[in-house]
Amino acid sequence: MKINEWILVILLSGLIILAVNLVGFQTSIIDSIPGVLILSAIALGGKLISMILPFKLPMITYVSLLAILVASPISPISQLVLTHVGKIGFTAPSAVSVAYIGISLGTRWKPFIRQGPKYILVAILVFAGTFVGSALVAQIVLKLTGVI
Amino acid sequence: MDNKNVQKNGLTKLLRNSYRVFIGTLVLAVIAELIGSKTIRFGPLIIAIVPMMYSLVMGTVLGKDLLGFFTEEESETASQFASIAISLFMAKLGISAGGSFTELVEVGPALILQEFGNIGTIFISVPVAVALGLGRKQIVGATHSINRETNLALITSVYGGNSKEMEGTLSVYLVGTLIGTAIFGLIASITASTNLFHPMALGMASGVGSGTRMAAAVATLSEIYPEWTEQISMLGGASDVLTGIDGVIFGLFIGLPLTNKYTDFWIRRIKRKEIEGVEKNEN
Repeated sequence: MKINEWILVILLSGLIILAVNLVGFQTSIIDSIPGVLILSAIALGGKLISMILPFKLPMITYVSLLAILVASPISPISQLVLTHVGKIGFTAPSAVSVAYIGISLGTRWKPFIRQGPKYILVAILVFAGTFVGSALVAQIVLKLTGVI
Repeated sequence: MDNKNVQKNGLTKLLRNSYRVFIGTLVLAVIAELIGSKTIRFGPLIIAIVPMMYSLVMGTVLGKDLLGFFTEEESETASQFASIAISLFMAKLGISAGGSFTELVEVGPALILQEFGNIGTIFISVPVAVALGLGRKQIVGATHSINRETNLALITSVYGGNSKEMEGTLSVYLVGTLIGTAIFGLIASITASTNLFHPMALGMASGVGSGTRMAAAVATLSEIYPEWTEQISMLGGASDVLTGIDGVIFGLFIGLPLTNKYTDFWIRRIKRKEIEGVEKNEN
């Protein structure tokens, strides 16, 4: 997908975030606009970095790192970013992606069923094993380092 | 001039082909928010249903295979848009993580070491996958990690895009995108109801699944521990980011070698049992 198309998808998805934030988080569209624009700018920044750098890391890695940097105490605009993005509900941006995923699953239904319940069982064990394993390590380390 | 026209046409074409996807997404997401979160209690088990689960189900039902409202092309488009829009979500997460930088440094060691919890995946799922009769290479792909986008990239570069390992990875990845959101909500509910773990540890564990899976786990945990909502989402986000970055390194140097050895171990073990069983029958 070309970068201008990419930007269009981001902006239209941003519009949907405005609607979700209005309905789900009772924040007026005017109040949500700066936050959505900041999120879009960071997403675009991450995308551009991933296009320039030669490493094979997924684009979202750069988006995350850029977002952390922009909002961290070393950033001169961190207060501005935190104030505006803080007005966007935590699940508003993910709600948009999930709705897209819902629509995208309409065709994967049949091949997936054919592929068999074996993989579903394995996948559930993989997810549960990782979740519980991580919680266990986190619990132990948090205890050892005296955080909890 | 020509170039400008081509670009303009590209955008117009994109809009013409996908306006139903945009409007559909808008409507689904708004309906989901209007229904809102619900919690159901089955004795000690708390199941939290979050709005995104409704939009996931409604979207799937509207697809070509069931109600046929969206065409195959539109589903394809939606899948592409999801991978773009997820960056807005990652930006939101990164900002929460950046804003809580000081707290993050405090819990830092746990976040990094927590990656080793991924080994939990391998020990539980490999024996079952072997017993189910899946191929050796498929098992390695399916169980070496939680199979996020980063792991697809890793398997592609190590074994190739059309390898048997890729078959396993892709299948688990697909289950993850299909029903992972619901599964993660459930796993988080069940794990929390054991009362063995601190909400912060569960928040970190939420980050093992990418994007929406993490979001589902975080949303579920926030319903169960409302007073910990901020920390849970911050830790989930930070752990998600870290897993996205160090997941490739972990998979390459620990996950894949370990899964290869461990799968062989279980295949030998199960084959030996089968042979013993046959011999006993003969006697």
